[in-house]
Amino acid sequence: MSTREVFTDHLQAGVLLLPTMVVSLVFLYYPTVRAVGLSFYRASLAQGDVFVGLDNYRRLATSSEYLQSVLISVLFATCVVVGVMAVALCVSFLIHEITVGKGVYLVAVIWPYALPPAVAGLVFLFIAHPNIGIFTSYIEALGVDVNWFSHGPQAFVVVLIAAVWKQVGYNVIFMTAALGNVPESLTETAELDGVSRTQRLLRVYVPIISPTLVFLVIMNTIYGFFGTFPMVDLMTKGGPAGATNILIYDLYRTAFQFYEFGFASAKSVVLFIAVGLLMYGQFRLSDRYAYYGG
Amino acid sequence: MPTTEDNMLGSLLTALTAAAERSRSAGRTTSERIRRFETEQLTLHVLAATVVFLIVLPVLIAALVSTKRAGIVTSIGDLVPGGHALSNYRRALIGLEFWRFMLNSFVMSVAVVVGKLIVSLLAALVIVYYRFPYKNAVFLFILFTLLLPVPVRFVPLYRLTTELGMGNTFFAITVPYLASATTVFILRQHFLSIPASLVETAKVDGVGPLRFLWSVLIPMSRAVLVGVSVIMFVYTWNQYLWPLVIINAESLQVAQVGLNLLRGQASTGEVAWSMVMTGSILTLLPPLALLVLFRRQLLETFTIQQK
Repeated sequence: MSTREVFTDHLQAGVLLLPTMVVSLVFLYYPTVRAVGLSFYRASLAQGDVFVGLDNYRRLATSSEYLQSVLISVLFATCVVVGVMAVALCVSFLIHEITVGKGVYLVAVIWPYALPPAVAGLVFLFIAHPNIGIFTSYIEALGVDVNWFSHGPQAFVVVLIAAVWKQVGYNVIFMTAALGNVPESLTETAELDGVSRTQRLLRVYVPIISPTLVFLVIMNTIYGFFGTFPMVDLMTKGGPAGATNILIYDLYRTAFQFYEFGFASAKSVVLFIAVGLLMYGQFRLSDRYAYYGG
Repeated sequence: MPTTEDNMLGSLLTALTAAAERSRSAGRTTSERIRRFETEQLTLHVLAATVVFLIVLPVLIAALVSTKRAGIVTSIGDLVPGGHALSNYRRALIGLEFWRFMLNSFVMSVAVVVGKLIVSLLAALVIVYYRFPYKNAVFLFILFTLLLPVPVRFVPLYRLTTELGMGNTFFAITVPYLASATTVFILRQHFLSIPASLVETAKVDGVGPLRFLWSVLIPMSRAVLVGVSVIMFVYTWNQYLWPLVIINAESLQVAQVGLNLLRGQASTGEVAWSMVMTGSILTLLPPLALLVLFRRQLLETFTIQQK
């Protein structure tokens, strides 16, 4: 029992908590429960709701299009996590090793945290445009035919680069903070022992900042799954041929292009379970890694 | 025996050089180490500058294009500023009415920041300074909402909002955002770092909870409050999916989705690509300005969030 808990008026406490509780209940919990309920219906605006039991889930399990979307999402999120974290770790280490002007570099690198994903998508759509993109002619001079409007793997890569570009800054914020907390004495010992820079990063720093890395893996995975929606919508609309049709985009289309709300609700429930598993994973992992953490 | 002589001379020379080396290294290690350190730092600065250049480049190109008439840049040689900056921004803001999208985004973001701040401050106050039954359950109830981001529930939320008759309203893009587990959590962590003696004294002096919040907690939390406000502003300003589905009146639409409309017009040739880049730069500026202005508070708040 904390000595801070000096106020005991239960009614007051209830009133002060009310706004958060009401908004959470009405706009967060209720829709989620509603999604579970709706997922057992065939719900369309025109014909009203018809109870169909597990039909929507059966449809999900047997839909090859949905299976492709699951695979694309997992692959995309994995590439986002690995790409973002590899780049961000190098950049953070670089800034960490610089003695003068750290603050300036930090701001110059983390600003894309504020960058709207829609802007990231549009700017990349423009500079990588197959016809009018500024780098297109140079890349084509190397013998690559830039046609990501019709070539799936290319579209995947272009959206991926835009997604990584936008997310590196956010990671650098946390990584530089974590690197800054590594005890000076450890760095000195490593230097006296003649440990090279890369070894120092990989063998000394990475294990120490691993709680931060675990946290970032989760945040980046969620970003890869959901946060990249504007880029997909603006750059590829899920195409070509479903190559960038990540789950959130697939869900959006089911609900707002085909108006199949029941089927879309089943897809929402799947996403909810995915987020739950991820968070649970982070909880368990950070428990295990907390030992290293300060 | 020239060879032996040569050898002798040779070994003498080697010995002399070695001795000279030894004495030199004894005298020069520090300056040499400094020089090595300086070259290393120089390399690091060059690398860091390259990284910064690469990260800034796409937006730099966008900014350059926003000053050109048509905005078709197909080679690096085209990357010179055009003379149409003023007319482009005027056309985007007034002619294409982008000011309306910006204003809507701004009102939405400010409303969400202020609302969330008030609601979360009250919740954090109760969670840290009140004793009441089922407190842990209440805290868990709030934290559990982390599992319910917009993408997971926007489909049923759309149904609910339209059933309430609130589709296509300002209410729809603000009120559902007001509960925030992250903000409550950051504020709670920060309050826990404020000495308990303060609230004990306040209690003894007969200071009520709201008075304590207003005249002690808030003044003591300025940096964190600024930090979470920037986080909330950036989050709200950058919302895309929810406004896209719930708002279909152009007069109520936000900047992010306004960009989508511009993109559509550019694809069909109605507007030049320079207009799309002009809109992009306009949309980027408010959150970017906040980040640069309040970077210190923002970084401080992020370190709390992770705890």
